[in-house]
Amino acid sequence: MSDYTIIGKRMPRIDSRAKVMGKAKFTADLKLPGMLVGKIKRSPYAHARILNIDTSKAEALPGVKSVVTGKDTEGVKWGVFSYTRDQQFIQMEKVRYIGDEVAGVAAVDEETALEALDLIEVEYEELPAVFESMEALASQTEPIHEDFPNNINVHINIETGEVDENFKRAHYVREDTFVAPEDSYFMAEPYAVAARFDYDGCLEIWCPNGGPHMKSKPLSNAFKIPLHQVKVRKITIGGAFGGRSEICPADYICALLAKKADKPVKIEFTREENSIATRQGHAMITTHKTGVDKDGRVLARETTCYLDGGAYISTGPIAVSVPFLSMEQVYRMESVRYNGYSIYTNKPIRGMIRTHGRCFAAGLDTQLDMIAEHLGIDPVEMRLRNVRKPGEHTNTKSKVGSCAMDETIHKAVERSGFKDKWGKLPPFHGIGIGTNAVQVGFPMGIRGGSQSFIKFNEDGEATVMSGVVDNGQGNDNMLVQIAAEELGLLPEDIHLVSADTETTSSDPGSYSQVSTFVGGQAVQIAAANCRKKLFEVAAKVLKVKADTLAAKNRLIFVKDNPEKSIPIKKVVRISLTNFNSVNAEGGYWPKVDMKREWVSNPYGQMCEAFSFGTTIVEVKVDPDTGQVEVLNATACQDVGKALNPLVLEGQFEGAIAMGGQGGMLTEYHEWKDGRCLNPTMLDYKLPLACDMPNIDTIIVESIEPKGPYGAKEAGMSIAMSAAQGYSAAVSNAIGVYMDSFPLTPDKILAAIKEKKSRPQNKES
Amino acid sequence: MEKIEITLTINDKLREVSVAPNDTLLEVLREKFDLTGSKESCGEGVCGSCTIQMDGKPVRSCLTLALEADGCRIKTVEGLANGDQLSDLQESFINHGAVQCGFCTPGMLISADALLQNNPKPDEKTVRKTLAGNICRCTGYAKIVDAVCHTGNPDNQCPDCKTGQ
Ligand code: FES
Ligand code: FES
Repeated sequence: MSDYTIIGKRMPRIDSRAKVMGKAKFTADLKLPGMLVGKIKRSPYAHARILNIDTSKAEALPGVKSVVTGKDTEGVKWGVFSYTRDQQFIQMEKVRYIGDEVAGVAAVDEETALEALDLIEVEYEELPAVFESMEALASQTEPIHEDFPNNINVHINIETGEVDENFKRAHYVREDTFVAPEDSYFMAEPYAVAARFDYDGCLEIWCPNGGPHMKSKPLSNAFKIPLHQVKVRKITIGGAFGGRSEICPADYICALLAKKADKPVKIEFTREENSIATRQGHAMITTHKTGVDKDGRVLARETTCYLDGGAYISTGPIAVSVPFLSMEQVYRMESVRYNGYSIYTNKPIRGMIRTHGRCFAAGLDTQLDMIAEHLGIDPVEMRLRNVRKPGEHTNTKSKVGSCAMDETIHKAVERSGFKDKWGKLPPFHGIGIGTNAVQVGFPMGIRGGSQSFIKFNEDGEATVMSGVVDNGQGNDNMLVQIAAEELGLLPEDIHLVSADTETTSSDPGSYSQVSTFVGGQAVQIAAANCRKKLFEVAAKVLKVKADTLAAKNRLIFVKDNPEKSIPIKKVVRISLTNFNSVNAEGGYWPKVDMKREWVSNPYGQMCEAFSFGTTIVEVKVDPDTGQVEVLNATACQDVGKALNPLVLEGQFEGAIAMGGQGGMLTEYHEWKDGRCLNPTMLDYKLPLACDMPNIDTIIVESIEPKGPYGAKEAGMSIAMSAAQGYSAAVSNAIGVYMDSFPLTPDKILAAIKEKKSRPQNKES
Repeated sequence: MEKIEITLTINDKLREVSVAPNDTLLEVLREKFDLTGSKESCGEGVCGSCTIQMDGKPVRSCLTLALEADGCRIKTVEGLANGDQLSDLQESFINHGAVQCGFCTPGMLISADALLQNNPKPDEKTVRKTLAGNICRCTGYAKIVDAVCHTGNPDNQCPDCKTGQ
């Protein structure tokens, strides 16, 4: 057992008090002196050439303070990679989806701003549009982006081992295709941004973000101003789930309006805009062909995946890779060939979402269950034979360190009673298992590491500076816990300055599950350095060696003789009067293979750790309505080390809701000619309190040697495995392997009906 | 548009304000009184993040015209604590980890507070049904439900009922 004071404890989050009092300020709550209301004019066409934009009437409207179009911009294009820079923040020549940005206005109030939007006259010439990836691939009409024939934006090819040979020697081979439409984040907070320029030409901006430094760089590029002149400020954020990781055109438009009007401007998205014009999950078509030996071990797999990438691609290469990565991280495959494509269509822009690639992952596990059934192996055994073991390498050559995959399966199986239930439940009552793994980070170049500064104040309390952002998952609390533990202070003695680009150093943001591993570790190192300085001073006062000291409860004391102690506050004051610095810094850079590149070289060490999760789900299906009642979900993850079980459980439970309950049963977008038919909460069905099953959470600690206190990440491999567990349970309940997600009642009823009509079917 | 004077008792204070006929109660609370605790997440009566109490009953302030509230007692999330002293429900939310991003929290608290006033020991099913009008995207509701059930009604099996005591 560890002797941590604060790490590992169920610590209520430091940010919750302001939140329960209604005092936490989100972007929409901000009021700046003289602030104007900004609104964005969007394209009504899915694909059209812009012939002319006339803003004169809007500009003449009393109360309108600025109007911007593409002409006011520097024409800079955005995209995370040099080869995905395809999106202007305000379109000048063409619009490529219904909702594309064409102009912005800022006015004294909302009514005036909306009226001004209507007064902007845009002349379009409509172009043929394509709405599905297969249709876009085959399209003979004008490509959506000039330089991309067949609308293929990204093609990722990965091949390891003797795939064709292994298929030949396989005992059993099957090929199945799985599909799912787009899903959305539906963060509780609709997107909002507030911006102003100061007298020095510095841009100050507040907006939900997955990493402030990931916002400041593109803004400095777009305005062609130095990086230090963009000050992304900290603000409370109402959820992200992968959808706020990048710059949003509204950030730029808001800032541009503020610049032109010389006044602060705030843009608040409607719920529809949040769905259409931030980002969404990709629609996907995935074909898995798997060959196994007679014991069910995977010898060869060939996977082909088409992602509907929407109008602008940005993180496309990551989006195409991540579903594959999860697969190769959780399952061993002697050989594998992957071809993943991101295809441009005239639909809204896409990004990574918490359960990215639900048809890929759920399809994979469905197929494993099919193979297991064919071979007479039960689903648990099938997984145990194929899942990752510690010390192995993934197909793309990442060494896997700590890995308690097996243990998560055993624990979840035991807690859920899987063995007693599987195959023995009454008709339309089923149980299923899903297993998954996620990478804790990936190579992010110059922004891959995090640095932290710590300063002690005269009163013995400390200020911690870190670029880590809290999207709602509890990162602020994580940083405070770590700093308090290392410094020997209480959490209330730690004052956090974070997620502000003016005062904090560069940090990867809350991308790819790295906040704790990288950002938390930077704080741990900074705090340890700071403690070392205090110990040196304390050692002199206590007349002992510095390495005999420890710190806890605001005291520095001799480990073997805790009576001999001195308050930290006193040490700080002695240090300062003796001209000793009590501040320190620390940084952490994960040792990854910097030559690894998504498209050109998808091989090499991806990250330093992987988390592993198992979800087991039990359901009842109503054969008359197709409704699924979820009785129980058991979520078990190898988190490395639980820094705060209270927060972890919350992450697991949220992951079950989003990845399983919503992601597999109800959530998807519907379309008509490129128009999203269900962008609102009324039409897009999110899980409610009354829908959720009982959730059992089980934490497994493998203690990752490279992580802070052994920690990896919290809850992502639950979100992924939840999708697999839910689909497996429904398939088990109705006796049909489902291949189209989410599993809505219409699909379930059709499957039941189809099964009944099968001539060989002798059951009821 | 012509403005109309109305009187509201907001969190026990009598307030007068002139509003337009189409101003929603949510807009008036947020903009005229700077009570930004109540949130707009959907703007169409689905999510419950704008829930306030009007004469003790939970209502969606995004769908309520300010005019309709004339003469009513309004309670918002800002009115739950007594100065710095949090209510038991608020404490319970903190201790049970029921708050993640916190955007749904004000509405959740107001709905749960209204429930507890009528039914101080609701069972889990009742709580889930009552909170079905408040969407939370982060928590999966488990900890919110526990927090409400255990308010003033601690469960000695629950590790979080002891926290903070
Ligand atoms: S904002 Fe009022 S119910 Fe959603
Ligand atoms: S805590 Fe984020 S929506 Fe409920």
